[in-house]
Amino acid sequence: MGNHSTWPEWVYVGVVVALMCYVGAEAWNIERIIEHVPEDAELIKVTGQQWLWTFEHEDGTKEIGELHLEKGKAYHFEIYSKDVIHSFNIHDYVVLMDAVPGRVNTVWFSPDKAGEFDIQCREYCGLIHYNMRGTLIVEDKGA
Amino acid sequence: MKAIIGVGMVLALLVIVPSVELVMAAGDTPGEYLNRVDVIWSLFYRLMIIAFTVGIVVSGMIVWLVMRFRESNPKAKPTPYEKDGTW
Repeated sequence: MGNHSTWPEWVYVGVVVALMCYVGAEAWNIERIIEHVPEDAELIKVTGQQWLWTFEHEDGTKEIGELHLEKGKAYHFEIYSKDVIHSFNIHDYVVLMDAVPGRVNTVWFSPDKAGEFDIQCREYCGLIHYNMRGTLIVEDKGA
Repeated sequence: MKAIIGVGMVLALLVIVPSVELVMAAGDTPGEYLNRVDVIWSLFYRLMIIAFTVGIVVSGMIVWLVMRFRESNPKAKPTPYEKDGTW
């Protein structure tokens, strides 16, 4: 031992450390960008309970199992749970956030396509978890 | 040792400092409209490129080491310890 060059090892360690730093910084950066809610986003309260989703718009309108949104507008969800842990997921828009009893989690998104999309609970929450679904209906402006 | 520190500093200047700047540059400005699908998937692709590159380099190196230093390789020479039989 000891009489050979250790340069390659140190270069290797340096490159790996640098890559790990890049991966961490990039992921953190994207997370921060995604978490910045636009100022004009409409607040919607989402409540999960065994085994349905309810939605309350800013103007007090309530919906059960269906959520009507406008294309091109930003929506800021406050996610609540009344009983056990659920997870609010709109797969087509990569929206996923846990609904935890006693805690308010937030997530925002802006639908850019009109149509119907699935809302699904992504955290096993009991017997009928598989059917804790909803429908997101995105409508064109003024429709 | 000086050389190692030098390499470390060059790497820091080239990669670590820009990465930190990138993160800090995001700031606390109000959010802009963005397409989550695009942003998240492009991050995924970038990180997968790094993951697969590192994976290929590491596994390639392991395969090369195993082949190069296997006992049956004619090029393999015993270490001084093995040669002398002393430990």
